[in-house]
Amino acid sequence: MKIIFSLLMLVGLMFANDATIEVIKKVDSLPSLAVEDASISYDDTFKLRFFKSIVADLNVISLFNVDRHHRSTHYNDTTVLVENKDKHYVLRYKMFEDDNGALNIVMKLMNDSNEVFSKNYKVSRKDIYMFVSHAMAYDINDFMGEPSVAWMKRKVIFSRIVAPKRTEIVIADYTLAYQHTILKGGFNVFPKWANNAQNAFYYSSLDGKKPTLKHLDIKTSKIKSIISSDGMMICSDVSSDSKKLLLTMARNGQPDIYTYNVDTKKYKRETRFGGIDVNAQFMNKNKIVFISSRLGYPNVFSKRLDTNEIEQMVYYGRSNSACSARGEYIVYKARESSNAFSKNTFNLHLISTKTDFIRRLTATGVNEFPRFSKDGDAILFIKNYKGQSSIGIIRLNHNKNYLFPLKYGKLQAMDW
Amino acid sequence: MENYRQWIGNQYILVIFWYNNLILKIEGINMKSIVISSVVAALLVFSGCSDKEPAVDNQAQTSSAQAQEVKAVETETVVAEDSMVNSSSNAQATLADIESQLTSVYFGFDKFDIDADTKANIATAAELGKNAASEYSVKLEGNCDEWGSDEYNFALGLKRSSAVKQALVSEGIDASRISMVSYGESNPVCTDKTQECWSKNRRVDFKLLP
Repeated sequence: MKIIFSLLMLVGLMFANDATIEVIKKVDSLPSLAVEDASISYDDTFKLRFFKSIVADLNVISLFNVDRHHRSTHYNDTTVLVENKDKHYVLRYKMFEDDNGALNIVMKLMNDSNEVFSKNYKVSRKDIYMFVSHAMAYDINDFMGEPSVAWMKRKVIFSRIVAPKRTEIVIADYTLAYQHTILKGGFNVFPKWANNAQNAFYYSSLDGKKPTLKHLDIKTSKIKSIISSDGMMICSDVSSDSKKLLLTMARNGQPDIYTYNVDTKKYKRETRFGGIDVNAQFMNKNKIVFISSRLGYPNVFSKRLDTNEIEQMVYYGRSNSACSARGEYIVYKARESSNAFSKNTFNLHLISTKTDFIRRLTATGVNEFPRFSKDGDAILFIKNYKGQSSIGIIRLNHNKNYLFPLKYGKLQAMDW
Repeated sequence: MENYRQWIGNQYILVIFWYNNLILKIEGINMKSIVISSVVAALLVFSGCSDKEPAVDNQAQTSSAQAQEVKAVETETVVAEDSMVNSSSNAQATLADIESQLTSVYFGFDKFDIDADTKANIATAAELGKNAASEYSVKLEGNCDEWGSDEYNFALGLKRSSAVKQALVSEGIDASRISMVSYGESNPVCTDKTQECWSKNRRVDFKLLP
């Protein structure tokens, strides 16, 4: 009996780890959590802004059913507010401004009125409050013993179309609450972080005679040109050691995939198909996935860089025009309707290279530009729906999607 | 089979929850002593979000905050615009006049092939290229409708430029006078949500270069 039970557990574990399997009805079992604001400085507008930010972050970590009522209390009160008596957890925080104008936050997590976790935070300016909110959610997630959500602290870089042939490149947090325009006044698209430290990025400049790949060092603001190509020049991916780039170039008007060695500055043509080959992404050091029209419609293929072996990866959908890979998983964008005369729907799907399962990740609108987090726990994407551009985040293991709208402009491309 | 796997998955999650609750209870006992770690601003979170890099848009920024920022880097200004202003008005008028005679080439949904109507357009453009515009080179700008901002859409714009280039070459224009670029969906002439509007955006524009 024990052996059978162990086998059942083993099989269960195997399948439960498969991200292509949807987890449903889990929300019923999540513990409830209320947030109590005990701030003594700052006006109500700012207090509410911070409250919204921490509630959003606590929702995204997907560990609690978070109560969205903003209630005030005193930090040292020994009991929780009467409205929150029945909550499993209460998060209480106090914001105060010190003599230097810095924003200080103390917080404690209470379980049945007992303090179980606490921590202090400080930032020099209150306008970067959202990073404290992300850090608090990150620490609570950590305290709860869940897999790391380090991606919460990473920065997102995106290009925004502000007028025809005019774009801005913006650095933001993952909720878009913090936004800093780092490059404006030109026509620059497809920004891509140049390294894990996120202190430099590549982008395609379309202002000159030929599309040119450029590199901008954020610390020094120094821009250098890397390589140009007639027609098209996009950096699709950067290897984990930052030494190798996957480029889409169109020498002689033919879009193909190239590898580029950052140290030697030499490039190598990896695909030679007469149609369209674009959007290459590293699966590992020797294997890439990319989008190709070699079947007459865009679909996802893989290529081994050492043996040149090419394989079709997706067998569902007639128009799969963007993808991202992480380990055995591939997320791709599929057109659900093919109509020149009405609105089209594009959804994201997840497949595993080891099983036949396909999991649909989105339901409405135009969902594109999927990007895995470094640890594969989350997928960031762009959603355009009813004239609004948003950044979406999908928690794969929690089966939840969250959207953070862009205030103005249309998102063109992004990386994180 | 799928239901069975989901059931197994749910069982696993229940087990994990039971386990987490157990851990929490254990930690609840051990965590009575308060852990207070103060986090220095510079170190904060902010893996890389240094003071040098800052400020939220739509918000008034203090001058000190401005000073700390990495300045937004202006891209190199395209020389062509200024030089055109400074050049003689006659030359400018000629280039603009000829360009106005070059009508954009339009394409079908998800297509980059050239039909009969388009061929007539291109033949007219080639005639101009051989006569009035013989001293200029031409940049073919491929564009797409709004359905997709990914690389594939850019490649589609490029294939449209490439198809027009091949047609121009077959009409006798020297390939070295032609350059191409794709703007994907980033250069719309019309932003309404109508099919007429989308079809106006699936096009290749001719831009003459001195």
